[in-house]
Amino acid sequence: MQSQDYKIEELQRLLLQKERDDINALKKELEALLYIIDNEKQLEKKVAPIISKHLNAYTKEMPSTLGPTITKTLKTEIENSKDSIIDVLYPIIGKLIKRYIQQEFLKLSEKINQQVSRRLSIKGITRKLKAFVIGVKEEDIIITSLSETKIQEIFVIEKFSGILKGSFSKSKTIDKESLSAMLTAIKAFAEDALKNGTDQLEVIEYGSDKIYIQNFGTYYVAVVLYGVLDTNYKEILERQLFSFSKKYYRDSSSNSEISKGLDKIFNT
Amino acid sequence: MKVSKKIVLLGHYGVGKTSIIRQFVTNEFSTNYQVTIGVHILKKELHIKHKDISLILWDIEGTNDLELIRSAYLLGSHAFIFAYDLCRPNTYNQLLKQIESLKQKYPKTICKVVGNKLDLIDTVDTTSIDYKTILEHTDYLTSAKTGENIERLFNDLATNLVL
Repeated sequence: MQSQDYKIEELQRLLLQKERDDINALKKELEALLYIIDNEKQLEKKVAPIISKHLNAYTKEMPSTLGPTITKTLKTEIENSKDSIIDVLYPIIGKLIKRYIQQEFLKLSEKINQQVSRRLSIKGITRKLKAFVIGVKEEDIIITSLSETKIQEIFVIEKFSGILKGSFSKSKTIDKESLSAMLTAIKAFAEDALKNGTDQLEVIEYGSDKIYIQNFGTYYVAVVLYGVLDTNYKEILERQLFSFSKKYYRDSSSNSEISKGLDKIFNT
Repeated sequence: MKVSKKIVLLGHYGVGKTSIIRQFVTNEFSTNYQVTIGVHILKKELHIKHKDISLILWDIEGTNDLELIRSAYLLGSHAFIFAYDLCRPNTYNQLLKQIESLKQKYPKTICKVVGNKLDLIDTVDTTSIDYKTILEHTDYLTSAKTGENIERLFNDLATNLVL
């Protein structure tokens, strides 16, 4: 019986040796895989590049695949919940506006304080006298003076060539000659493109600065100013520019004479 | 005393007007072609014959029809530089007619004709091009890329203008 069992075992060993070897090999591979799965670092090493690759592809494709859907959904959501959005944004925008106004008031207040503290200066005494004579509060005169329009620069430019004939400047500016030529090109373009009888470009606005243009025969004057350009100020400016043209431009033989003329009229 | 002069560059698209100006003003050249829209203005100051001269260079967008240029861009010019591409006959086929028309409209304005892209002349097949007539009316052969004759063109022009 014993020898029978032995024979069977021997037979099994001979017949199934290959399968056993395969099973052992598979066992080892399974153990190695289990080690990787159970060991976080090992798993990360294997999986991370695959995730990263897919994630990159997904990120690249997202705008084209999900973009339109997101935009559409957002539009619908915004359309449907205008009131809720306003409720959320209102306090934030309100705070920003409030802060901005507070800052502007602070600046204004500082300027008023500076003006008041110079009461004993000639300017201060003149202002006091003016307030007394015209019967207006000194504070009102100060506020008016703080919000007044200020001329920054003036350019006298030859009409067609755009060549600078003379200038007046309270601050150093970028290249005046290039600016004059570019201004002439812009003016020519606007007047040509928006042909409307004999109308000419009068004002260019950028931020709180403005360029007021006064046309004369063979030249024009561009005044760069800061502040409000209302009808009253325009009238005053026009008068001054006509006076400059009459008194100084006609008789000037050089660019420096034109600049001196501007200085005499506007540097007050 | 400094004098300022307005110089306008004219010519077809892509003949190198902007490159000519850039080479003269900043000594730079770029192969990256960018179309000029409207007008671009640059300035260069020179000292010629004991005089300071400011050249205000108007680089106008290219066109094959001078009539399409806004007259306001050309009025008041002291000199025109009419540029064409030596390798593209269509940029100078109408040149004589166009120069004549310019001279009639602006008789007091100096006009210089410039054949540009001299550096490319060896790279194109020029056997079918008849240069004889066009070269008779050309004042300068230039290369904005290498800078050849660019300085000379503007210096001569400035000298003419201050004399």
